[in-house]
Amino acid sequence: MQLARLTTIVLGVGFAAGCGDNFEAPNFPTTDCTSATTAHCLEIHGGDSAGLVTAANSIEAGTTIVLGAGTFEMTGQLTLRTPGAHLIGQGIDVTTLDFGATTTQGNGVDAIGNDFLIQDLTVLDAPKDGIRVEASTGVVFRRIRATWSQASSSSNGAYGIYPVKSQNVLVENSRAENASDAGLYVGQCQHVIVRNNTVTGNVAGLEIENTQYADVYGNTAEDNTGGIVVFDLPGNPIVGRDVRLRNNLIRNNNHVNFASGGTVGNIAVGTGTFALASRRVEITGNTYQGNNTVDIAVLSGLAIEQDVTKWTLPTATLSGSYADLGLLPGGPAGTIMNFRGENIVIAGNKHTGSGTRADAGDPLMLGLLLLLAYNGQAVDSVLYDAIGEPAFHSTDAALNSNANHLCIGGNTGGTFASMSLERQSPTVQIPFFRPAAPFRPFDCTALAGGPVADVVLP
Amino acid sequence: MPGRTQATLLLAATWLSSAGCGGGGDDDDGPGPRGPSGPVTVDLDAPPPVLLSAYHLFTWDPAAGFAFNDRVVPYDVNTALFSDYALKQRALYLPDGTTARFDPDRPLDLPVDLPVGAVVMKTFYLPADLRAPGDAVRLIETRLLVRHADGWHPLPYIWDAEQHDAVLTPAGEVRAISFVDAAGAVQVASYLIPQRNECQSCHAEQDTATSPIELVLIGLKARHLNRAHDYGGSIGARNQLDRLTELGMLSGAPAAASLPAAYDFRPIEVSGPAGLAPAALDDAARSYLDINCAHCHNPRGVQGMTSQLFLDHASTDLFHLGVCKRPGSAGSGNGGLTFDIVPGDPDMSILYFRTATAKVGAMMPLLGRSLTHGRGAELVRAWIAAMPADDCVTVP
Repeated sequence: MQLARLTTIVLGVGFAAGCGDNFEAPNFPTTDCTSATTAHCLEIHGGDSAGLVTAANSIEAGTTIVLGAGTFEMTGQLTLRTPGAHLIGQGIDVTTLDFGATTTQGNGVDAIGNDFLIQDLTVLDAPKDGIRVEASTGVVFRRIRATWSQASSSSNGAYGIYPVKSQNVLVENSRAENASDAGLYVGQCQHVIVRNNTVTGNVAGLEIENTQYADVYGNTAEDNTGGIVVFDLPGNPIVGRDVRLRNNLIRNNNHVNFASGGTVGNIAVGTGTFALASRRVEITGNTYQGNNTVDIAVLSGLAIEQDVTKWTLPTATLSGSYADLGLLPGGPAGTIMNFRGENIVIAGNKHTGSGTRADAGDPLMLGLLLLLAYNGQAVDSVLYDAIGEPAFHSTDAALNSNANHLCIGGNTGGTFASMSLERQSPTVQIPFFRPAAPFRPFDCTALAGGPVADVVLP
Repeated sequence: MPGRTQATLLLAATWLSSAGCGGGGDDDDGPGPRGPSGPVTVDLDAPPPVLLSAYHLFTWDPAAGFAFNDRVVPYDVNTALFSDYALKQRALYLPDGTTARFDPDRPLDLPVDLPVGAVVMKTFYLPADLRAPGDAVRLIETRLLVRHADGWHPLPYIWDAEQHDAVLTPAGEVRAISFVDAAGAVQVASYLIPQRNECQSCHAEQDTATSPIELVLIGLKARHLNRAHDYGGSIGARNQLDRLTELGMLSGAPAAASLPAAYDFRPIEVSGPAGLAPAALDDAARSYLDINCAHCHNPRGVQGMTSQLFLDHASTDLFHLGVCKRPGSAGSGNGGLTFDIVPGDPDMSILYFRTATAKVGAMMPLLGRSLTHGRGAELVRAWIAAMPADDCVTVP
């Protein structure tokens, strides 16, 4: 580290002098360059935002930037494009990158580069996304927070913690708050672990979108509009698969929906979890509590986009593995469609106190349908839209099909209903099918093709 | 707005006539300021020079304008990226004995094979009043892309307060710049001089999300260059592609007249898009979206492919152009709207909203704009309005 330390000193002097700062002792109570694991390391004292931006734009591959205690007043996004960049502060409440005075468009931290790590700091009031890491392999978010100082503001940035189009992603012991779209948003990634994070005050707390092989456990989603959701968007060439939500706490997600429209604008206030246009999903061992509309909803993509041509993807454009999924063929040769919600296991979850006050105002009118259907009773713990089921009957289990292989058999701590959503409207109400445990014909307990495998990061 | 383009052209004309901005100065016998005092110097093995003048690419003088060294050829584009109304002086340098190779397989991508040592430069400047564009001109920054064996290296230089030289500044700068616009109104831009890494926000492409990222050129393509330029002196007005061929700096290119050209935005800047015939409106709008959006929004755009919205000139699939397409990750940038383009209804189209708004957090392009480009937004609006109406809700 000797050479790296020398580099640090040279840079530090240059910038302290340039900015007319005093030569203050750096403030690194928790971490400094002696513990860096990269080939190079720089220390930037707390508040030296100019020094930080210069360092970010000058570092060699494999450089740790250690940030001192204090608040860095940022005038624009912090842009990193160097492989092996590690950004480490002195603690989630000790080092803050504050973008509140930024007058230009941009994210907070905007990084592209393999082996990226961000740790022990807070990103505050970013104009767009808090921390966006894109097209990178090997990404770690650890003990960080992305937040906006004003709660429930639709002008807050979209996503707090946002790894996108990346591989081998770990997000742990972090917090995401007050995002106007999703607090912790994993988009179009492969091989992901999201664990022991807390998401609060967001529209969507934690989203897994068009993502393959994700293990989401030990997280707390509280006071969001929707807690933890899994979905594919139409037209995206990564078909989501193999997502495991387990042992999370998902409670009181009854926050007003303050999104300015978009997919999350459709989320009914009081939604614990939905899986939409998703396949090979396991939702197990979670604790659901006090989500006013419903704990878990299993939905077809057609619930938000009815035009199947928009769910049609040429197989030549697809990323990742899909051949074993048995996806529906599209109209044109060489295409598939991914709107189905299928091959989902829901088991061993605890459900208490939810479904007691469904949202009457969500754009999809799901909440309104529930209010009408349940008429004062609590909504069942798990709801299924039954879109794509060739057979539906309100009372006779033998006259219901389970073509989408939805397995509720092991979810004996909760209740279940399917609802033939395609035929429902506020004026045409078809009684829900509400079987008792083990919820025949949805009484299977295992995914077709075997369980979701553990995600092992290199 | 009328008058801005005219003013811009007047400014350019002033320089051309007085400075004789001719590339390959051996042909230039007009009077003018002295250019750089020595040959162009691009040392690929040394750290980049701190001062721009060390390259000897061009000189600038407030009275006489730009003067370019040998083998440094100025050029312009048909439709330009909007950068808070900053005016731009672009130029290309190729080392002695090298040429750009025109690739017939990628005829729209002229610079696929620019030689190592090439430099592409763009200087951004603003006068105090766009109605008097030759007066009180301030150079803001010069961006270089230098071709190394491993690809393009971006280098941001910021002009000093005395306007004597520009200084390499990896951190970039956000600078409040006020000026009077062509309509006489005071505009205050939060002008972004990009950080070095931000060059890669626009100049980066890859095959797939896991492929290596390469830096690419944006404006230096045949369809953008295919236009006349007044080289001054004895050369006069020539097509830019033909001129590069004449100078021996471009090989293998057919006559420019046989190549496609992007739409010339200048008349729209003066008069707006009203009265454009349907085909011209489509051509103009697609050219505008191509140069302003497609550096990200193309199938190889590192940050743009996330959205699956592709606005490059070559993309023709309506869904990926945004027609009745839900945004991938617009977040709160959607302005409360549902679809990227609702044909016939610009006010319901996110594409128009993000083009017209100046709200931080919502506006597009991602970087380099803090003001609304009035004529550009009008063009996008007219283009969407002219599409056959479709509410995007009724399933066909």
